[in-house]
Amino acid sequence: MSTSRKIIHIDMDAFYASVEQRDNPSLKGQPVVVGGKPDSRGVVCAASYEARRFGIHSAMPCSRAWRLCPQAVFVPPRFEVYRSVSQQIREIFQRYTDRIEPLSLDEAYLDVTYSEQAGGSATLMAQEIRREIVQRTGLTASAGVSNNKFLAKAASDFNKPDGITVVLPEQAEDFVAQLEIRRFQGVGPVTQKKMQAEGIFTGADLRQRSLAELRQLFGKSADYFYNIARGRDDRPVESDRERKSIGAETTFETDLSDVPQMLSVLNNLAESVVGHLQRRELCATTLTIKVKYSDFQQVTRSYTDARGFDAAADLIACFPWLLSRTEAATRPVRLLGVSVSGLKSLDGMRQLRFEL
Amino acid sequence: MKISLQRETIVASLQNIIGAVEKRQTIPVLGNVLLVAKEGSLLMAATDTEIELQASIEASVDEPGEITVPGRKLLDICKALPDESVIRFDLDDQRMRITSGRSRFLVTTLPARDFPLSDSSNEGVAIEVPANLLSDAIRRTSFSMAVQDVRFYLNGLLLELSNQALRAVATDGHRLAFSTAEIEASLDEPIRSIIPRKSVMELGRLIPSGDESITLWVSALRLRVQLGNVTMTTKLIDGRFPDYNRVIPVDCDKSLVIDKALLVQTLSRASILSNEKYRGIRMKFEAGRLQVSTNNPDHEEATDELEISYDAEPIEIGFNVGYLLDAFNRIETENVRLLLKDGNSSCLVMPLDSDDVKYVVMPMRL
Repeated sequence: MSTSRKIIHIDMDAFYASVEQRDNPSLKGQPVVVGGKPDSRGVVCAASYEARRFGIHSAMPCSRAWRLCPQAVFVPPRFEVYRSVSQQIREIFQRYTDRIEPLSLDEAYLDVTYSEQAGGSATLMAQEIRREIVQRTGLTASAGVSNNKFLAKAASDFNKPDGITVVLPEQAEDFVAQLEIRRFQGVGPVTQKKMQAEGIFTGADLRQRSLAELRQLFGKSADYFYNIARGRDDRPVESDRERKSIGAETTFETDLSDVPQMLSVLNNLAESVVGHLQRRELCATTLTIKVKYSDFQQVTRSYTDARGFDAAADLIACFPWLLSRTEAATRPVRLLGVSVSGLKSLDGMRQLRFEL
Repeated sequence: MKISLQRETIVASLQNIIGAVEKRQTIPVLGNVLLVAKEGSLLMAATDTEIELQASIEASVDEPGEITVPGRKLLDICKALPDESVIRFDLDDQRMRITSGRSRFLVTTLPARDFPLSDSSNEGVAIEVPANLLSDAIRRTSFSMAVQDVRFYLNGLLLELSNQALRAVATDGHRLAFSTAEIEASLDEPIRSIIPRKSVMELGRLIPSGDESITLWVSALRLRVQLGNVTMTTKLIDGRFPDYNRVIPVDCDKSLVIDKALLVQTLSRASILSNEKYRGIRMKFEAGRLQVSTNNPDHEEATDELEISYDAEPIEIGFNVGYLLDAFNRIETENVRLLLKDGNSSCLVMPLDSDDVKYVVMPMRL
């Protein structure tokens, strides 16, 4: 491995819900659910910490959230606002590095290996960034600092909300050893069950398995698991300028089998994808949805429009048709994803559309 | 089957129905024309399963029968024969023998039972409208229909019929065309149908331009129109057309009247150097003049100017020049009205003398 890197992972705390609580003080301290109406077939986009205590989490059907917590306040998402806050946060990041990899509107990796601010200390930079985020947006963020993406992300999760965790390279093995595997990025509910059935509950358990054993159990993902159990992760921070497509996806704890609910999830994902497009002043010519069925079989369906997509409404209009070309109506779905590719710069004039 | 008929009769009718012959021909019989010979007449039909066109013509029938033959070839053969010739059709085993003078052709056939002819009964409600009103409505709006849009309900024309009005609306999401005309009818409830794009084009081609009445049979699933000796039956698009009233702006506070021919010339000149794909053009309206400018990725530029009577606050706005020209070219008055709000809001284009035709064009962000 080359010289040690300095990676910061910043994650806004209960982002959409916190924005709602910030803008409407009567929601402070309340269980807030951002998403569809409680009696609708929509899904939860975000839940405040108060709501999470009732077991409510994102991508859960709103009807279920309502049953878990009838006194919760349901508010519709305001993606325009979230996108503008996301832009403010990004401007803060940009003062520290141009190697920024956003994962969604509220989460990003920063590679500050070559940044000289704060005496070159990634920890101090992360603290400054968190402070500036509070000053500028009135919202809190958690940060993880380490020498790779896996550790930085696991670290930011460690002291949430409004916390910071630093994992030095020499602490990496101990840090990973005590981590529950559900905290590992890339370990979803199903992998988690599979690992637990094998007696793997923590990083330490995972570390005891040989690469050969892991390959037998997890196939392609084995190398990744083998490395992260040792705190190793060589994936670079890819600034979005270098990416050829932009996507977002959600895995459900309970498989979805209701098409309107799936459309609601896709619509939420579209808002996030469009946020990235708009920030980079791009439009995309191809839209792709990804559907993973409960048996892990996965299909993608695409639609290309040379006129380009640059608004969420453009994407949303295509989903019913794209989804109808999958078996989503008849097979339970565990993951939905939206991505756009064929990215073109919007420089010059851009045709506006009706809101139909 | 043995029939003979006059070249001009069959050519004219084949030309009327040939548009319905499936071009891709994934199902062979859809590339064929159905021929049904009965006493004294020949019925011809073509379909792509979405639109069906039938024509009935006089023929001298020696032996009745029914069969299908390749549509394009049949038309080409009949057209290529000399004027005024008499053409004879004999079914010879599996092939159709076509003879005229010393010319003879043997073409393949497929059985008539394979041809998906629509149910001959008239479905739904009947409404009579003057042909020219429907023809005008189609001419004024059909160019704005979407092409192969994933929002399938935009790939067609909305036809709204009430007891007072015949309305046509088309939009591709960037521009919208609206046309309304007064009619008198006695419907139990208004009709809203989305006619598929290809059927609209065929209807526009076949419909007479006089004020004679034509009858439309409309059901939830299909529309049938009798046009002289041609019957058109088309499936309708099963979808919800967007609420066009939300798109037609009502808050334009800047309006002006411009000589249409001058405006079209000015825009056409400038458009030569616009970006070939996006066709963007800048328009700057200010006291007494309109400045038009454009450029393209090769750094070529064009500017032009037009005197106008305008005294509202200056406004700069960009458009796809093609959308503007499409609208202006459908307006029949010498002067056009333009209504604007600001550089990011849609523009309303109307003829000088009426509100019955409206074109809404979304701008391009500069």
